[in-house]
Amino acid sequence: MNPALRFLSRRVWLVTLAALIVLVIVNWILQPNLMTPNVIKSNLTVFLPVALAAIGQTYVILAGDIDLSVGTTAALVNVVTVTVITALGADLDAVLVGMAAGVGVGIACGLFNGVLVALLRFQAIVTTFATGILFGALALLVMPTAGGSVPAIYWRSYSGALLGIPVIYWIYAAALLVVALIAARPFIKHVAAVGGHRAAAFQTGLRTARVRIGAYVLCGLFSAFAALCLTGETASGDPLLGRTLALSSILAVVVGGTALAGGKGSAFGSVLGALVIGMIGNVVFFAKPPFEYQTLIQGLITLAALAGGVFIARRQDSRGRGLA
Amino acid sequence: MAPLLDISAVAKRFGAVTALSDGALRVEAGEIHALLGANGSGKSTLCKIIAGTVARDSGRVHLDGAEVALSDPRSAERLGIGLFYQELSLVPQLTVADNIFLGDERTGRGGFLSGRRKREDAATLLARVAAVAGPGLTPDALVGRLSADQRQLVEILKVLSRRHRLIIFDEATAALDRRQVEVFFEILRKLRADGVSIIFISHRMDEIFAIADRITVLRNGATAATFVTSETNRTEVVHAMVGETAIRERVEHAKPASAGKPLVTLKNATSRRLHDVTLTLGEGEILGLGGLQGQGQSTLLQGLFGALPFARGTIEIDGAPHAIRSPATAIRHGFAYVSGDRGRDAALHGRSIFENLAPAAIVRERRFVFWPRQLRPRFEAAVKALNTRYASLEAPIGSLSGGNQQKVFIARWLATGSRVLLLDDPAKGIDLAAKADFFALIRGLAAEGVGIIFYASEDAELLSLCDRILVFNSGRISAELSGPTLTSFHLTHAAYGEAA
Repeated sequence: MNPALRFLSRRVWLVTLAALIVLVIVNWILQPNLMTPNVIKSNLTVFLPVALAAIGQTYVILAGDIDLSVGTTAALVNVVTVTVITALGADLDAVLVGMAAGVGVGIACGLFNGVLVALLRFQAIVTTFATGILFGALALLVMPTAGGSVPAIYWRSYSGALLGIPVIYWIYAAALLVVALIAARPFIKHVAAVGGHRAAAFQTGLRTARVRIGAYVLCGLFSAFAALCLTGETASGDPLLGRTLALSSILAVVVGGTALAGGKGSAFGSVLGALVIGMIGNVVFFAKPPFEYQTLIQGLITLAALAGGVFIARRQDSRGRGLA
Repeated sequence: MAPLLDISAVAKRFGAVTALSDGALRVEAGEIHALLGANGSGKSTLCKIIAGTVARDSGRVHLDGAEVALSDPRSAERLGIGLFYQELSLVPQLTVADNIFLGDERTGRGGFLSGRRKREDAATLLARVAAVAGPGLTPDALVGRLSADQRQLVEILKVLSRRHRLIIFDEATAALDRRQVEVFFEILRKLRADGVSIIFISHRMDEIFAIADRITVLRNGATAATFVTSETNRTEVVHAMVGETAIRERVEHAKPASAGKPLVTLKNATSRRLHDVTLTLGEGEILGLGGLQGQGQSTLLQGLFGALPFARGTIEIDGAPHAIRSPATAIRHGFAYVSGDRGRDAALHGRSIFENLAPAAIVRERRFVFWPRQLRPRFEAAVKALNTRYASLEAPIGSLSGGNQQKVFIARWLATGSRVLLLDDPAKGIDLAAKADFFALIRGLAAEGVGIIFYASEDAELLSLCDRILVFNSGRISAELSGPTLTSFHLTHAAYGEAA
């Protein structure tokens, strides 16, 4: 393997970054006002929920599992948060308690998934598909039809600014800080080991079930954050919220260079992946192809973005294949 | 003073199979103790019990005079016991340094990872093997990109990094060359000088005599003898391994080796785990593959069956060369493959006996549409011929015992008229009565002219069944046994690399 390819294969996120830059340039040509503060802010606001969900999804996929329930987890968090805020009288205290309740619900959903998959050894993809239906059903029980509203203080602060910088930028910064903190803990090595070669991790003495449950709990937590952001955007409760979140988060993770088979990847790459996916949508929108071709083109570009990372990652695997 | 480790009367069963009936072992502090035994003697089960990966059914394990439970690898680790796994504990996606310190990460302030300490400590450890490490073995290299010997060195360093009181090295030298083994032995001697105890397992007898202070021999799941290395010799040790009854316990069927005309000839077969294997199988011959486990026997069978095609080499069937690159081709040439790992390689779970019988016939006869009613009489005849006990062909495969399931998988091939039967440790996990039945069946097939290549992890099975045995060592045929040399003494001697 030549050194340049080798360098890239250890940093697949660089490929994602390159794809992002290309998309930004194309988008800029198609939409000359792209680089104005308002447009940047509104774009990043739209991308934020997927970016957050993708961060959580990264840990689960890194551990060799998958979570298809993040979309309905977000819906459940949304309706619980809105219901609690409304019930407590819609003041600042109510908002904080409601958000805490939402975060609690997200953690509980993750814990539930983790226990089923890691302790009871259910198959991850089928199990989280089923729990996803379950969480969606619970959301409908809590709030049968879309409605309710959060007080102005909630959505105004979300779209507002703090110290002159938009709040959503602070959320991006906080999310990346959490990603960096997790990446600096032994936990992340354990997650990668469990996802890379589970038998080896067990024989090394790692508590594999605990690690996998931890990954699911993180995923539930970040799904809750995504839901709270969506709530700030829509300012209301909707039991059918976030239906595409699960698949877009998985797509973002893979575009960001994390192997679906587990063991390799980074949450930082997934954030880039989420931005790439969002930009693909933008480019297709502004290129104004005939309506009936839009989805087709979006699909092709997404496939191309996937292929770049996958090919480079595979080059690296081809020699180590015999070991697994 | 009490020995560091004192094990007595330890037993372990896996289903119907007794892996260990009366294991005993005493290891003193600061001693290198070799554990020896033929295939299936229970030495790896004993090691796994000590390391906590397998829980014992009964018996006592004392560490420093106190009884210990050893319920999982973690608890053994906490007691200062480390086990060297052959490759199995390395994660290919992680770097060398991350693998060495996995679960024991080098951290700095606040429990955060310290990249500097990790690299420094890894470099210190790697320096101990630097002279023989080969290119590319650096702390930041991905383990998946290393060669087999380098991975083995990393595994050794990983065990060393934990400061254990007792380390089990199970086949730690298998992939190492002579110089690497010498460096490894230097490390072992230094550990011994520091008071660390070592249990050493190797399939190279000369290594054992070079490094071990004492030798314990296991036979048929029980401890047979313990020797002081300086007061014994190879012949005595091998005799302890095979026991007093080192005669051939077989039902004699008078047939000279290589009676029939050649059915299959394999020349210079080479793949990742095989080197230049050449052999000929005659009609009606039962050819055994012997040697320690994992020396290439299964790889050879799966290569002949096209499941793991050879990288190089030629296969001749009835004198004509053929390329076999997939199981479908092999089946059409009349090859049949029966694995001891029924769950993974053969069974269609939750399906009926009929459905488990059908695939081979469908592939062999290139059928795209078939009428179950036409196939049924053939299948019934085939299953009946094997004396299989079953309720009906519609009964689920899981309702049969292991032995009867295995017969169904043989019947699968008989119904298609297969001429070459590849048996990959087929009697694994089958009880004794079913085993005898099964072997009688194989002998009957050979009498009808079917050529059989038989690999068994238990030497007794090979000796009771085979006309000829090829002994494998590290992917090569190291010896051929037939006629008067077909004894467990010769087999064990050859497996352990006589004067290797």
